[in-house]
Amino acid sequence: MDICSSWDGTLSSSDFRVAATTLSKKWKVINPVFPPWTWVPCPRRPFWVASSDSEVDGYLSLENFYQLSSNEVGHRCSIETQALNNLVDVLCSYKSSPAKEELVNCGKEEPVDNATLVQSDDQEMHFYDFHIVYSNSYRVPVLYFRGYQSDGQLLALDEIERDLPLNSLKILRESKWTFMTQEEHPYLNRPWYTLHPCGTSEWMKLLFLGGDSQTKDGPTIQQQYLVSWLSVVGQAVGLRIPLEMINNSCPLYPVNSVTLSNEVND
Amino acid sequence: MVEEERAPVILQFAPFQSAVDEGFWRRLSSLKLDTLGIDQSPITITGKFELNLFAGFYSPCSHPQVSNHLTLLPESLPPEPGEESSSSAAAAVSRGNRNRCPVPGTLYNTNTLESYYALDKQSLLKAEARKIWEDISSGKAEEESAVLSRFLLISFADLKKWSFHYWFAFPALVLDPPATLIDLKPASQCFTLEEAESLSAACNEWRNSSLTADVPFFLVTIASDSHATIWPLRDWAACQGDGQKLLFGFYDPCHLPNNPGWPLRNFLALICLRWNMEKVRFLCYREKHGFADLGLSLVGEALVSVPQGWKDPHCVPNAVGWELNRGKKVSRCISLRQSMDPTRLAISAADLNLKLMRWRALPSLNLNNLSSIKCLLLGAGTLGCQVARMLMAWGVRKITLLDSGRVAMSNPVRQSLYTFEDCLNGGNMKAMAAVNSLERILPAVEAEGIVMAIPMPGHPVSTQEENSVLEDCRHLQDLITSHDAVFLLTDTRESRWLPTLLCANSNRITITAALGFDSYVVMRHGAGPLNYSSDIKSEGEETLSAQMGNLSTGGTDERLRLGCYFCNDVVAPIDSTANRTLDQQCTVTRPGIAPIASAIAVELLVGILHHPDGMLAPGEIATSHSGSSEQPLGILPHQIRGSLSQYSQMTLVGHSSNSCTACCSTVVSEYRRRGMDFVLQAINHPTYLEDLTGLTELMKSTSSFEVDWDDETDENDNDGI
Ligand SMILES: [Zn+2]
Repeated sequence: MDICSSWDGTLSSSDFRVAATTLSKKWKVINPVFPPWTWVPCPRRPFWVASSDSEVDGYLSLENFYQLSSNEVGHRCSIETQALNNLVDVLCSYKSSPAKEELVNCGKEEPVDNATLVQSDDQEMHFYDFHIVYSNSYRVPVLYFRGYQSDGQLLALDEIERDLPLNSLKILRESKWTFMTQEEHPYLNRPWYTLHPCGTSEWMKLLFLGGDSQTKDGPTIQQQYLVSWLSVVGQAVGLRIPLEMINNSCPLYPVNSVTLSNEVND
Repeated sequence: MVEEERAPVILQFAPFQSAVDEGFWRRLSSLKLDTLGIDQSPITITGKFELNLFAGFYSPCSHPQVSNHLTLLPESLPPEPGEESSSSAAAAVSRGNRNRCPVPGTLYNTNTLESYYALDKQSLLKAEARKIWEDISSGKAEEESAVLSRFLLISFADLKKWSFHYWFAFPALVLDPPATLIDLKPASQCFTLEEAESLSAACNEWRNSSLTADVPFFLVTIASDSHATIWPLRDWAACQGDGQKLLFGFYDPCHLPNNPGWPLRNFLALICLRWNMEKVRFLCYREKHGFADLGLSLVGEALVSVPQGWKDPHCVPNAVGWELNRGKKVSRCISLRQSMDPTRLAISAADLNLKLMRWRALPSLNLNNLSSIKCLLLGAGTLGCQVARMLMAWGVRKITLLDSGRVAMSNPVRQSLYTFEDCLNGGNMKAMAAVNSLERILPAVEAEGIVMAIPMPGHPVSTQEENSVLEDCRHLQDLITSHDAVFLLTDTRESRWLPTLLCANSNRITITAALGFDSYVVMRHGAGPLNYSSDIKSEGEETLSAQMGNLSTGGTDERLRLGCYFCNDVVAPIDSTANRTLDQQCTVTRPGIAPIASAIAVELLVGILHHPDGMLAPGEIATSHSGSSEQPLGILPHQIRGSLSQYSQMTLVGHSSNSCTACCSTVVSEYRRRGMDFVLQAINHPTYLEDLTGLTELMKSTSSFEVDWDDETDENDNDGI
């Protein structure tokens, strides 16, 4: 597919598959530090995803992306809040349970074991899963994501926002194209956070067509689409995209405006 | 190697940590609901089902700062009925997955919190430890090494609160005396360059083969020519050649530089029990970027000895392993209310539409205002039902419906909150049936039903009834002051009089909708004629509209005030049904009229709430050119009249009349002065209001009113049924 002025900024489902492959390959080569983007084939097709194209059945997934919080104070607050919540849970249990003495002192104590390392509390970590799902209605990729603590407790939207770099918050507040909501994941059928796709084709069109010097032997749209797209939506959710991935992929995009969040591990 | 002069250092192991994917709890919930019922027997994942599912997954540590957790995923549990095929496919995918080494586990899920806390945790732990000990003794652990990391999970799933109480145990056989450490350092410091290269290559090959990638315990030999080989545990005999170094390797989930991870404990037990080793050299295998990393991996040497009791085949070994929760021996609890409570999900889904609208088209849309406003709907008929639905669609959550009637057989087809069931056994009270229906539509709605008739002028009451009518009047007054917006949706003109007066008195947003056979009128009443001070209110806090009304009504010029439903009438409200023929009493409207008028009434409310002047905003008239309005929602008219016979609609403005029987300052002042006496007099004496306001005089002088719209009085202001 060549870029022409009539292009509407969308992607066909088979092009999505091509773009997904390009993204995961490039990601692996350029930044092996991160967990990989892997294609998750879906054995069952949700009935509303009507597509004659069977190869697109699935989504691109990056999981266990973790963040050590850089903001010490905010971080401690969140731990304390959590501790408070736990305390509330415990108190509730006390109230409803006649066997409350079992709670702390569970029958016969375990024998004292000096071969067990007593660890000081690990730094509380937040993990993020990102899925890129193709939307047949909008004909664009859609980013679904969720955050959770190491024990699996899901993060609420305000907790996620506390993890985001300031730049992301600014984008979420002001930008016309990023609208974060909770919606059912099309394949997992559980509510995940997502960036609503109804503006995607418009800004993708701007991103590609705005470049005045698209070289003829440059990468094609279906190869570059997801990389460029991710460089934009990634910013909104604090997902750092290595600079090398963005270079040459979206002509209009000024490289120096890509903000790197410091807290992402190396 | 042993530094004799030092006291022996006890080898300390970093405990395993658990992580449970949200999907696991969801699968457990539906399993419990659909399959298990109240069965409390342990769910043993392996063996019992044909599909070779495992309970927990882990992988070697892959980050210098982070230990890997033992993770439970949805596929840790047996598949749900009807899901067999996809799950077996998923299971097939997960076999040989290098990032998901399966570990068998046992889950005890109890039916009550009490029985959860009553579980004898020490016995459960011992029972699991005994299984491990038996697997070691029988040699099974050498064939299937993952059983060494067998774990235990107890849980109570509170499906009403979407909370899950749980506690993991990773049973470890306790060596007595404990293993002592001779040496422990990064693997990179323990090998020659050739050995290290060969070892890394061998590990990577092991990890990349689907046959061995998920086998977490292994043997390493390094021959004298520096060639490293990795063997499964069952090949122990083959590793006994002379001149080669032997290491016991395991996938180490721990990242710490000075401690091996938990799986080594039971491995050491196996090594000393089965192979009678006393001095054990072990490899804590760790990775980086998916490849063996000898800088992170550790090589250590420890002294072990078999505990005395273990020689007895009936031995029950000591074990430890209940997971600590933030350093304490307490149960964990996770809440998935946010993502599982259907009521919450319904709210967020309904709000999503509005947020999208705000994002795409109406940045100024004030959703908080809409969700906090309290609306009072007088009448729960065709109009009331439809107005309530439209309010919910706009995100209004606090709705009170007032009606004295019961649901009749003819109602459900037109009155959209009722069904056939509501008509049975004499019919449910409309106000209550409507509330039930709203709650079925959206459980988060805060709806209230009031069964009450509205006292009407021209319907005299007997002395016996007087007290109850006055009680109703006070009740209505309280209701109006405790709400922000009032919709007048009753089916007679006179039943709107008292609410109009009370709203004018307390400056509430008031919207009237009235229907003819094929026409409708929807209007918003102007602000009250007098300052509304909060001391007049019987109770309750300052409400939203009272605040809005208090801003500037004082200086309002009477002539510019928008009119109310009665302002253009030249007769006082009397019994409008008494002098009619039966045909007229049985009011009929085209079915499409009520939904149209109801929708317009609610849109008008939203317009008022978003106008900077609120209820004081002047009435605007539609113009032919679009985009003339300054407001994002467009113009804010005073009245909208429409007709289906011509499919026409127009906007009109009518200012308040000084002789209005419901909202003029004379009437409101008189009400304030005399209260319920005044109301009673108006109800009992048909001409009292006309006399009071001068209408009687006015009619005699035959002069007419200046209104901006047609001066034909609306005879068809009754809604259907
Ligand atoms: Zn009036």
